[in-house]
Amino acid sequence: MEIRLNQDVYSHNNSLANQNREEFQRSHTLVINIMSSPGAGKTTLLEKTIQSLSKEYRIAVIEGDLATQKDADRIRSLGAYAVQINTNGGCHLDAKMVEKVLPEFDLEKIDILFIENVGNLVCPSKFDLGETHRIAVLSVPEGNDKILKYPVMFQKTELVVVNKTDLTPYLEFSIEQAIEDLKVINPESRLIPLSAKTNEGMEEWLQWVRSVYQKCSKQ
Amino acid sequence: MHEMALMGEIIRLIESDAKEREIKKVEKVELVVGDLSNALPDALQMAFEFYKLQELDFLDSNVTLLIIREKAKAKCISCDLEYEPDFRIAICPICDAPSGKLIAGESFAIKSYTGI
Repeated sequence: MEIRLNQDVYSHNNSLANQNREEFQRSHTLVINIMSSPGAGKTTLLEKTIQSLSKEYRIAVIEGDLATQKDADRIRSLGAYAVQINTNGGCHLDAKMVEKVLPEFDLEKIDILFIENVGNLVCPSKFDLGETHRIAVLSVPEGNDKILKYPVMFQKTELVVVNKTDLTPYLEFSIEQAIEDLKVINPESRLIPLSAKTNEGMEEWLQWVRSVYQKCSKQ
Repeated sequence: MHEMALMGEIIRLIESDAKEREIKKVEKVELVVGDLSNALPDALQMAFEFYKLQELDFLDSNVTLLIIREKAKAKCISCDLEYEPDFRIAICPICDAPSGKLIAGESFAIKSYTGI
């Protein structure tokens, strides 16, 4: 007998993501899913963000990696609460993995929850985790071609942080070109160039976080 | 290469549906995979072969996988022309505008399965 299922393969993930989202909305927790290639500087960006915003907001982090507690330890050393998810080879986080660790958080006491996804410029973009906002980090050494070569990531995010701008004098990377390429594939997205290392440009990013937090807490 | 995880999800969805309908052996699975779905048919086929070798109770030992490809299609927001884009950046061949709206090619679904 033939069973016509016509079921989207992502449907299960999407319904779990919606459950997560409802839980975040109940506690008015802003959740930002950060995605990038490995080594783009997600953890450094988070470290600097926590240092700058921990007086204003109660911040917690979910760290996604194939193995080790290294990133969670870096976040914990700053006094922020962090839970590490090890995917044991999996190339992305999914809604179920996030749902599983949520009991470890007291969301009522968390204003902003950052989810640092597994370093990968392809797969994570396909999996809704229930986040309020999703952003991509691109770093100067990766080169200008990444936005057009990995369009899905930049189409499914609303903000691109271009990190490591302190290296632009040594590498061929044009911020103007990146802005133009982003306009072609996703006119609604915006780009913030910064260096998490030198703090140059960090204020614009922090302002963005503050503004989305304000919108989220008013809901 | 997340096709392994995706196939795991497909197998899980079919298993739970077959259980509900009291279907003991699944003999054929049909998927619709869009050209822009980020899932590669060959890698899906390979992952399927892996699951077949696991001798799962509800999968017939000769179970087959049929993948129906869905071609990408975009619609120009200025002239309404429907065309097949080269990739996600859909550029209208008449207007040269890069903001074509994708209307097909992103599907990734279990169309049906056959079992006894």
